[in-house]
Amino acid sequence: MKPIRVCSAALLALLVSLTVAACGSSDSSSEAPAKVGAVPTEQSLTGKTGGKLTVIASSDVDYIDPGAAYYQFTFMVTYATQRPLYSFGPDDAIDAVPDLATQAPDVSSDGKTVTVKIKPDVKFSPPVNRAATSADVKYAVERAFLPTVGNGYAGAYFGDIIGVQEFQDGKAKEISGIDTPDDTTIVFNLSRGSGGVVAGALALPISAPVPQEYAAKFDAKNPSTYGMNQVATGPYMIEADADGAVTGYEPGKKIDLVRNPNWDSATDYRKAYLDTINVEEGNEDTTVASRQILSGTAQVNGDFGPPPPVLKQVVGSTPDQLALTPSGGLRYVALNTTMAPFDNLDVRKAVLAVFDREAMRATRGGPLLGPIANHFIPPEMGGFDEAGGLTGTGVDFLKYPKGNLALAKEYMKKGGFPSGLYTGTEDLLMVGTSGGVAQKSAEVAAAQLEKLGFKPKLRLVTQDAMYTKFCSVPKAKVIICPNVGWLKDFADPQTILDPTFNGQNIVDVNNSNWPQLNVEAINSAMDKAALVVGADARNQAWADIDRQVTAQAPAVPWIWDDTANIRSVDVVGVINKFNGNWDLSFTSLK
Amino acid sequence: MIRYILRRLLWVVFLLFAVSLITFVIFYLLPSADPAALRAGRQPNPALVESIRHQLGLDQPWYVQYGRYMKNLVFHFDFGFSYQNGVPVRQLIFSRLPASISLAAGAAVLWLVVGIGVGVIAAVRPRTKLDRASMGLALVGISAPVYWLGLVALYLFSADIGLIPILPGANSYVPLSEDPAAWFTSLIMPWCVLAVSFAAFYSRLLRGNLTEVLSEDYIRTARAKGLSERRVVFRHGLRSAITPIVTIFGLDLGILLGGAILTETVFNIPGIGRLSYASIVRSDLPVIQGTVLLGAFFIVFANLLVDIFYAFLDPRVRYQ
Repeated sequence: MKPIRVCSAALLALLVSLTVAACGSSDSSSEAPAKVGAVPTEQSLTGKTGGKLTVIASSDVDYIDPGAAYYQFTFMVTYATQRPLYSFGPDDAIDAVPDLATQAPDVSSDGKTVTVKIKPDVKFSPPVNRAATSADVKYAVERAFLPTVGNGYAGAYFGDIIGVQEFQDGKAKEISGIDTPDDTTIVFNLSRGSGGVVAGALALPISAPVPQEYAAKFDAKNPSTYGMNQVATGPYMIEADADGAVTGYEPGKKIDLVRNPNWDSATDYRKAYLDTINVEEGNEDTTVASRQILSGTAQVNGDFGPPPPVLKQVVGSTPDQLALTPSGGLRYVALNTTMAPFDNLDVRKAVLAVFDREAMRATRGGPLLGPIANHFIPPEMGGFDEAGGLTGTGVDFLKYPKGNLALAKEYMKKGGFPSGLYTGTEDLLMVGTSGGVAQKSAEVAAAQLEKLGFKPKLRLVTQDAMYTKFCSVPKAKVIICPNVGWLKDFADPQTILDPTFNGQNIVDVNNSNWPQLNVEAINSAMDKAALVVGADARNQAWADIDRQVTAQAPAVPWIWDDTANIRSVDVVGVINKFNGNWDLSFTSLK
Repeated sequence: MIRYILRRLLWVVFLLFAVSLITFVIFYLLPSADPAALRAGRQPNPALVESIRHQLGLDQPWYVQYGRYMKNLVFHFDFGFSYQNGVPVRQLIFSRLPASISLAAGAAVLWLVVGIGVGVIAAVRPRTKLDRASMGLALVGISAPVYWLGLVALYLFSADIGLIPILPGANSYVPLSEDPAAWFTSLIMPWCVLAVSFAAFYSRLLRGNLTEVLSEDYIRTARAKGLSERRVVFRHGLRSAITPIVTIFGLDLGILLGGAILTETVFNIPGIGRLSYASIVRSDLPVIQGTVLLGAFFIVFANLLVDIFYAFLDPRVRYQ
């Protein structure tokens, strides 16, 4: 689970999959996402084996340590170098395939036990050079809970493992709820029946094995230096010296991947056509970088999408060099449900009704960049269709993409404002991201609110400050957050709805429930849905919750982003639909 | 002279302390991001955030943090670790310093040669077409923002996206130690772009100074003694007129050694400037501190060198 990070001139940073900038804006009212570049998958491969690919990036990975990695761009590297228990083939964003594991996880009927069998012959890269065992997976999960590693999702998905709290408190040296009866079996014992989501989360890099005898000394440092001394199990490794010290990574400059000499293709579904992959970071001007890719050779984009002029040009002239993929995320304008005037449900509905979401989408590029969101589970996610698909859940206040002032006024009247307009005189603190597309979106959002007489006081700060000092800090008392969004971690709808709308997840720091929605019926439904086992049942349960959340109008959902990726003409690019980015293990050169 | 230098060195130390303190205070006063929250990822356990805050020492009062930082810096030359990626700041800075030095030094040579050359020519040929044309171009050079100029240069001359593809473009920097020839060619365009505004400014400044000096009595005396015009201009006129240039040059070079943010960004040169920019955006205080201190060091040290050089350049300073 992670918030969408918006591309400012700087960061960008890290906005990866959802960083698709605006492209002009002739909006149509079409609800279906426009598809220009075909999404290449494994089946379309025609490339050769060998060669060097250059990945052009604007900024750095979030963490080079696979135990802390949490962004699409980082995953792009991590899934080429590490083998978690499960991972996603290029053409399936929903169902993970066994990677280090031999078969699908065995979740007990009560959801309290997850058992995984692993392959016996997957070896670590030098200098470890031995086969990975279940104990290595156990250590990988344990180290994710170390503050020196700082994994951002371990607690959310693996916090139910018995013994985690004692381990975190320093009362136990290992997590007692993870059993390794033999070298090829690992069992996760849970305090409640959340095995369904734990099984799904095993496709994240946290489950990639880490050899304790080698890594512990690095993890003992503050912060852990394992990332700069990591070993690989995937087809590639970050270039390193004989002792394992990484030489191919210079923060903000480059990541050089070379073949892992201990990788055995017979144990892996990855193809690994390329010999070397060079990630070149620091290309802040994404227009220049995009043009370099399009006119160059053997290059693909990394953590940015082509900006508006380039995107327009590609669509018109070389659409084959463009791939658009649903990102599995959405953007919305969060309304603080704990503070006036948005503690009034009818006022919130009025805001949703008046919002011109097409104008919002136009700030990012219009229909090309994805359909207008009508609820919160995005396309290509379990529960999307069950929650109403592209059409929506049926609520009238999200029926009009361009907004409906008359309907909004009706809701305002119901909310206690007889004129249909807000009569309060106070300024409403609105904190957005400065610069670029995000700022445009914030300004358009402010204009929508003014239609009903609200007086938003828009304060623009850097994206990190927007999250960590304002919108994610409830005591900052921000009333409107126009630049927030959420991206799946994997295709389970819980990863979209639970962190963002469960009242029990409201915390003082790094709060992701930006509207601070705290409705007992929804919280309790989420508690129950979290324990449901089986994909279909889970999808239905979370789709029902999506409808409940939407009915509460805690935020204005306005786009289900598509990710735009570009490549040079001689690159046989393969998109990994799960990650919304080029799959380095399947991409090749002509 | 030695006492003077020692006194100035003490001032350097004091200034660096002051700069470090101000940077620290600014970081706490401005609404920058929360490093612990950033380090903890997007959906961390609150206890984890607090644990990281404690481990980074961010739960201490700012003056305690500052004291610890300065202690490590003074006694161990340790700038701390980047909050963002856990890499020692010293390592980050020293890995990027060569690129910034390469950029600044090459551009400095270029702008000195061009700036002084054009300034002298314009001064000895006042109110001619050559003078007016060169000063007009200089005005354009001063007015053109480096970022814009860099992009124009890329779209015109870079080998990958340029209309006249003759020079390596963005993202082509190669360290001198790896390939001297590639290093040189990769920096031609950045050097030119960075040098334009400096050369323009220096030429205008020198032209004004030199024109004024050439009308002094002692110049007339020199001419009356029968010295050649070249000797009059370069030996007597330029030596006097160039002293303000030396002052500015010292400061400019010091600033650029601390990072030419815009040029490094446009051409993706992995120098100190880009590191500073990225660290500011990510609220990475140890890196911000390190780069600011480095920049301050270069500036005050360059200033010191300039003052010492003055004594040799201008006898009046020595006598005082």
